[in-house]
Amino acid sequence: MTVVPLAPVRRWISRTQSSHRERGATLSSLYIGVLTIAIIGGMLHRQVAAIFWPSAPDTSALAAGSLTAVCYGLLYLALRRFGPLALSRPAASWLLPAPVSRRRLLLPSLRLTGLVAAVIGGLATLAVVGHAAPRAEAGDEVALLITGGALVGLVLLLIATAAQAGRGWGDMLDRLAGLIFAAGLAGLVTATTLDRAPAVDRWPPVSTLLPVVGAVALVVVIAFALVVRGLAATPSDRILEASRTAGTLFDTAFGIEPSFLTDMIERRYWARRRLRSTRLFPRLPVLVAQDLLLALRRRSRLLWLVLAAALPLLLGSAPGWVLGAAVLLGLLIAGMTATGNVKTDAGNPVLLRMLGLSSRDAVLQRLWVPGVLAGLWAALALTALDLLGDLSSGPWWALGVALGPVGAAAAVHRARVGFVRNELLPLDTPMGTLSTGPLVNAVMGPDLLLLGIPAWIAIARGELTPTMLLVQAVIAVAGARIYLSGTTGDDRTELSN
Amino acid sequence: MVDHPAVEVDGLHVGYGSTPVLVGVSLTVPVGGGICVTGENGIGKSTLLRCVSGLQQPDEGTIRVFGGDPGATPEFWRAVVTTVEPPTWYPGLTAREHAELVCRAHGQDPEEAGVDEALERFGLGGHADAIPPQLSSGQKQRLVLAVALLRPSSLLILDEPEQRLDREGRADVARLLADYVAGGGSLLMASHDDAFAAASGAAVTTMESISSVTP
Repeated sequence: MTVVPLAPVRRWISRTQSSHRERGATLSSLYIGVLTIAIIGGMLHRQVAAIFWPSAPDTSALAAGSLTAVCYGLLYLALRRFGPLALSRPAASWLLPAPVSRRRLLLPSLRLTGLVAAVIGGLATLAVVGHAAPRAEAGDEVALLITGGALVGLVLLLIATAAQAGRGWGDMLDRLAGLIFAAGLAGLVTATTLDRAPAVDRWPPVSTLLPVVGAVALVVVIAFALVVRGLAATPSDRILEASRTAGTLFDTAFGIEPSFLTDMIERRYWARRRLRSTRLFPRLPVLVAQDLLLALRRRSRLLWLVLAAALPLLLGSAPGWVLGAAVLLGLLIAGMTATGNVKTDAGNPVLLRMLGLSSRDAVLQRLWVPGVLAGLWAALALTALDLLGDLSSGPWWALGVALGPVGAAAAVHRARVGFVRNELLPLDTPMGTLSTGPLVNAVMGPDLLLLGIPAWIAIARGELTPTMLLVQAVIAVAGARIYLSGTTGDDRTELSN
Repeated sequence: MVDHPAVEVDGLHVGYGSTPVLVGVSLTVPVGGGICVTGENGIGKSTLLRCVSGLQQPDEGTIRVFGGDPGATPEFWRAVVTTVEPPTWYPGLTAREHAELVCRAHGQDPEEAGVDEALERFGLGGHADAIPPQLSSGQKQRLVLAVALLRPSSLLILDEPEQRLDREGRADVARLLADYVAGGGSLLMASHDDAFAAASGAAVTTMESISSVTP
């Protein structure tokens, strides 16, 4: 088969595209991009410094190791989720089936993701070192560690690239990375519960670091050459899937519409699953049975939810109001794990019409499973905080259960939001123009967490009285009931708010 | 309900912008009877069905379904089934579970309603465990029809139900629709296939014959 040289094709595409743009449009975009980064950097430089290099080391060796596992585990999972090799949608449509060199076609994608992985790997190491290493003069050590971190980022990219072209072992590695990430989170939680965790008291010597970093660099160079050599063997379907992901990401960013991405992830998840039909639990109302079946079919998600109940422990030393806000936010997220069917019905009521149920009946039934999940999650999280002494003793588990209706109403409200309304008028503020559509969309759902204000106050003060518990229970149930009667009707099927 | 026709359309006008699609359309579907509207693409068959389903507001004219306004009420949708809109599917639910869900929502026992037999009859017995997005377009069409015929209803509004079905599938669906009408159900559908329409027990009419002026 004749192979057409790719470079002239790309030059022609680039030339043709730029002829349709205004003169200086690219330079203008570049200028705005750099200016935006400079302004945000100028505004947030203190916070950025506190994240990467606080004035004094503030974490233990266990926390540093755990943070490393979290950062690199997450980097690998992100690389796998987004490809890592991808083409733009036009290139996937027009150049992938063309008789051009597949290796040359994919090389720019590998270069770009390599740069991103190395930068993120280096930054992760800088943050870990900044939080854990002693403040002694150690320029060479820092430079070597950051270089090592960047190389680890590249190693993860190369493994992810091989997994993209490989078969089942890629899924096994994904599970391993998920376990490393979970172990890192568990380590972080453990580190916050230890009173006197051992700290890192000295730098590793350059004489040790240099050969290790050098060896990793050599491995990276050899592995990079091997991966580039095998690039052409990457199956087209994997590249097409990654390209669709990249395109959806672009749509999500451009339209400020996160549901494009979440819907795509949901579709792909179910497309990979092999299901066996089962009877919907006959003793439960039909939509409750459906939600329960869906929740049980995503057991790994439920497991993550149980593990995530330990995450508020990370904020044990933070101000009480931050801890209270984190618990309420977790409540919303826990409820949202079971609102996939509400999103389907809110987006298109075809099935609700087929079911012949009123919006009130439907929403009432749809509140149950999110409510139980949210209540159990909050009960677990508050019990953990209680047991580890971050809260004074009291029936905190009962407060968690009482928060269930709040989590249910907030999660169902969030699922009924629909698309971002970009036609809403923007607001002029001293900081610049603010788009109101994404803002309104973002607060719908979290706004109902205001029903949990009594719990927020109790967590912030660290004290729970029976009166406060009763007040929270009444407000939660009454609030959910008012939400139901105020946003649904017995005379309509549509779920839109 | 028996005192009124199933569907009564009078002087219906619908246009998209300055383009008239339906001009003075009048039509009556008796209870226990079937009407099939035929005509070329773009003549307004689907628009007529959407208006009768209450999914689109006409510019002028009246539409009565069992003597009342077509609407979004649960009572309306318990009596009427339509396939005018492209279907959506619940995530993580198999084809069989979709059928069972609809049956249970209408108070039917899935076994007694014959979910498995219906899937078998529509050639979906081997795909009961598939999630609907994995099915071909013809299989999805058959699943929609299977679910529409499983649940209780008084009026079926079907937009080209023969589409994406093979010859054998068309004959089966036509027979089921004829049984539905014979059992007292009412049927309003649009089709390109006169033989299918005749086999389904529906009286065939054209868009031209029910319009006062051809747009």
